[in-house]
Amino acid sequence: MRNILRLTLTLAAVSIFSAVILAVVNSWTEPIIAERQLQDYLESVRLYFPDVADFEEKELEGNLFDLVYDDSGNLIGVIGKNLEYSGYGGPVVYTLAVDQSAAIVGYNIVSHSETPGLGDIITKPEFHDRFVGKTLEELDTVDTVSGATVSTSAIIGAIRGMTEAIAKAFLDYEEEVIDITQVPDGTYRGEGTGLKPMAVEVTVEAGRIVKIEVVEQDETPTYFVLSYPLIADRIIETQSLDVDTATGATFSATGIVNCVKDALTKALEQGGGEESEDDE
Amino acid sequence: MKTMSNMNIYLQDISRGIVRDNPTFRLVLGMCPTLAVTVYLINGLGMGLSTAVVLICSNVVISALRRYIPDQVRIPCYIVIIATFVTVVEMLLKAFQPKLYAALGVFIPLIVVNCIILGRAEAFAGKKPVLRSLFDGIGIGLGFTVSLFILSALREVIGSGTFLADTAYAVHVFGESFEPMAVFSQPAGAFIALGLLLGLTNVIFKKLKID
Repeated sequence: MRNILRLTLTLAAVSIFSAVILAVVNSWTEPIIAERQLQDYLESVRLYFPDVADFEEKELEGNLFDLVYDDSGNLIGVIGKNLEYSGYGGPVVYTLAVDQSAAIVGYNIVSHSETPGLGDIITKPEFHDRFVGKTLEELDTVDTVSGATVSTSAIIGAIRGMTEAIAKAFLDYEEEVIDITQVPDGTYRGEGTGLKPMAVEVTVEAGRIVKIEVVEQDETPTYFVLSYPLIADRIIETQSLDVDTATGATFSATGIVNCVKDALTKALEQGGGEESEDDE
Repeated sequence: MKTMSNMNIYLQDISRGIVRDNPTFRLVLGMCPTLAVTVYLINGLGMGLSTAVVLICSNVVISALRRYIPDQVRIPCYIVIIATFVTVVEMLLKAFQPKLYAALGVFIPLIVVNCIILGRAEAFAGKKPVLRSLFDGIGIGLGFTVSLFILSALREVIGSGTFLADTAYAVHVFGESFEPMAVFSQPAGAFIALGLLLGLTNVIFKKLKID
């Protein structure tokens, strides 16, 4: 009995001795380690935002974001960490840096399982650079890579969606809404890109879109008939550009919507179209 | 006269650790870290010195406590003491040498189960006075460091064509365009290099008639 007590006490004493030493050393090194890790992280942020002075972590829908500030406390960008989307071969984890005007600064693929030699082009600088400097609107014009269409369109879609979420949550970004009722009567030409460049003519009467005609296009004929006139009818019916583009020919449909947006934007800028018909 | 002979014993303890009882080339202990981290000289040196620090500290503490630790629980006590010093070394490396810490990786916590340290605790520190245990720790620690130094220098020069890479004193031994024998920086090369060095030490020791 006495023996067991002695063994227990010895072990306990050794363990307490060990715990005290570790506690002392830990309280000394912990702040140094934390500071070093912070510096290492700032160093990696500096690759995207050279002026970084401070950052603040925010959570949004289960993802972690760092809001990056410069010396004078201005928000200069947002970094999304360990974001994930579903690529061709499985989940892709990436880091995304967006500046304060919602333009892409860069991204970094942390892990992926895309096909080597094809889909892994998403990790290559030549593909990455297609995104650099692109604003939210311009992201629609990033080209996919043939042979890796699924992998590349997946990352384009993911980055576009994430940039939009970041812009709305952190950057006070407001999508420009076109007030159709302010557009003078007339017929306006607008240009955009479906699969290929296209142009439409939009006729506005009494603040309402009454007619949308595609005047130039080079889309795949069998797909184009799926999108037009269906998408035009949807726009005219809802009097809104925020329509469902799922028609079986999403690219063509999106192209038409963008053309109409372009036409109306120009019409508002000019305060009446060159082809305006009410000047007699 | 007595102090003189004491001094001799201590010096013998040190030289015995480096030469006759060299842990790597004579006792062939602690092979896992020896083979794994010796790709670059700086890693080998870091590993050797870290192990030496742990060995010296644990030898001293274990020897000081040897009368109070009952036989039945000596192994758990030794392990706790060794693990304490390993964790201390780990925290210090993480704070002040993060690059070395990253390079050595899992082999730092694995110093806990390095058989050199537990072996010295069992064979020496658990029976001998504090001062002799201290010098035994210094000797064996230096022996381990010297062995890793030789092995990693050999592997780095042949396997990567560099010397002291990742430090301010990095040198390309055979010039930048030299194509190194990459196998020596691979695990297989570690065995080959260690085998050659073991053979070489055996030949030398036989020639010098050291037991």
